[in-house]
Amino acid sequence: MAFLEISGVTKLFGQGAGAAVDDFSLSIERGEFISFLGPSGCGKTTTLRVVAGFEQPTSGSVHINGVDVSSVAANRRNIGMVFQSYALFPNMTVAENVGFGLRVAAQPATVVQARVAEMLELIRLPDYGRRYPHQLSGGQQQRVALARALAVQPQLLLLDEPLSALDAKIRVELRAEIRRIQQELKLTTIYVTHDQEEALSLSDRIVVMNVGRIEQVGTPFEIYNYPRTAFTASFVGHLNLLPVQVTDAATGACMFEGTPLASSQAAPANQNGTARLAIRPEELVLSGAGGNRLTGRVLSVNFLGNVVRLRVRVGAVELSVDLFNERKLVLPAVDAQVELSFPAHACWLME
Amino acid sequence: MSEIAGSRFTGAQPRAAVALASMWTYLGVLPFFAFIIAFLIFPATNLFAGAFQDAKGHFTLVNIQELFSPYILKAYRTSLEVSLITSVSGGVLGFFVAYAITMGAAPRWVRNMLLTFSGLAANFGGVPLAFAFIATMGRTGFVTAILKSICYTAADASKVCPLDPYEAGFNLYGTVGLAVTYTYFQFPLMVLVITPAIEGLKREWREAAENLGATPWQYWRHIGFPVLLPSILGAMLLLFGSAFGAYATAQALTGGSILLVTIVIGQQIRGDVLGNTNLGYALALGMVVVMAVCIAFYTLLERRSSRWLKR
Repeated sequence: MAFLEISGVTKLFGQGAGAAVDDFSLSIERGEFISFLGPSGCGKTTTLRVVAGFEQPTSGSVHINGVDVSSVAANRRNIGMVFQSYALFPNMTVAENVGFGLRVAAQPATVVQARVAEMLELIRLPDYGRRYPHQLSGGQQQRVALARALAVQPQLLLLDEPLSALDAKIRVELRAEIRRIQQELKLTTIYVTHDQEEALSLSDRIVVMNVGRIEQVGTPFEIYNYPRTAFTASFVGHLNLLPVQVTDAATGACMFEGTPLASSQAAPANQNGTARLAIRPEELVLSGAGGNRLTGRVLSVNFLGNVVRLRVRVGAVELSVDLFNERKLVLPAVDAQVELSFPAHACWLME
Repeated sequence: MSEIAGSRFTGAQPRAAVALASMWTYLGVLPFFAFIIAFLIFPATNLFAGAFQDAKGHFTLVNIQELFSPYILKAYRTSLEVSLITSVSGGVLGFFVAYAITMGAAPRWVRNMLLTFSGLAANFGGVPLAFAFIATMGRTGFVTAILKSICYTAADASKVCPLDPYEAGFNLYGTVGLAVTYTYFQFPLMVLVITPAIEGLKREWREAAENLGATPWQYWRHIGFPVLLPSILGAMLLLFGSAFGAYATAQALTGGSILLVTIVIGQQIRGDVLGNTNLGYALALGMVVVMAVCIAFYTLLERRSSRWLKR
């Protein structure tokens, strides 16, 4: 049995409402960093709250380290949690916040003090112990919240959109911090987010969720490059979709507005000849040699720094094309005719 | 460019026009200030001056001296007692009711009904309230009558009515009755004032505490209660003030037989031969001093209990 075993968890809020979480099963190994990724309302937070013990599942069970905790109260599960709103106790100093879990467990003052100092060192705020939460920036508050959750040496760390309330720069900084601390402590972690970039950059494995169900579980590489469902493909990363006629379902050959295209996989079954050909913007190259070719007209050129995003009209559809920026790059003009090409292994057919 | 042009334009504006414009701004609050001057500042100064004058208008300290006579000291003690008891009883009761309707699982309509009732009851004081209590809990009130009628015959053939409130020592027209009556408007006032504060407690605080291993009691002791304390203190001070200044309820209920400071003031300023208007002024001044002490005390407590809010 894995370290954390979530089996068949379903959560209904009231009669008649749809399931917030629908038959969710997942095994998480010790020390793994798992992200629950999905749009708001997909059930990721509810699942996390079931693990934390704040919600009782309608059915299903949660095992931690072989012990069924389904009926164990939240305050006895020894799980650390970090909230989106930081949830620091406003009437306590930073040190009191961090030491709270140890104090309610009646640890001697010297132990609490030492542990608090150690935790503040870990989050790199050693001199902030005497401040009150309102005297800290959002990023600092969230780091204190992290230290508070870690101080009790939890067997599991849960983070509920911890960076969503922060601005972009702090978000990236703190993201790296969270990963560093998690690896240092080898702590089993579940991270809930709707931000694909966070999920991709942090996780050992990502659980993509939609309307209460798991869409796909896999490493960031698998999720991004081999999405198994249309939802995963479009939710994680940007995706171009071409409506095509399937000409050979077995090889994945198809036709787009008279142009024959080759794809890597067999077409999905139950199709009456039509499908959508999926291709990532960065797989398209301008006037390359190999594989599939399309001709289009440039609609716009957006310079984003490390990449340049083109919008290109090909027949009835608009495609996004991402070019890596380099100094010798010659950008096409708006309205210019361009030749796009992509290899067969870069694209796949979807329903 | 436009900025420079703009500033030159305002600079060119005549001073008088600017003054007029700012006068327009204050015109709206003029009635308020007129009101404050006529009905707060003027009477207060008058009261202060009157407390140090005799009937002929000469300066004297006799009125102040008289405040320390046993009769008047007793009135202050009774007023303070009733106010303290009802602000605490009403405060505690109100707090738990407010807690129950915000934290409990009661449906929305119960909550709304209770808040509406509180809004009504908190303003239901004075003579009508006194008569309502006389009609229910007075010597011949219907609740008293019902309780009185529950009797049985004891072994020695005597009739025993164990629920008769007046037999048990209750008296609506005494201090206890006054406290009960005051609580009727005190606790809804507490509900109204404290409900928003309880709603301000974030769910995440409770969950974070729980998550860190705290019991509900530990959460309340270390977070919920300390966070609410300034609001509770403020609300109770409000309750204290409203009881301390109440007059009509007590007058109508007891016919002046209970000596509260407000009732003694009433006796002094009524204008009959027994009254001494200037003593009334001194009594009122004494009330102002008591309230000032209370507010100072509250400020001190509030500052200590909300250190975490100060920048």
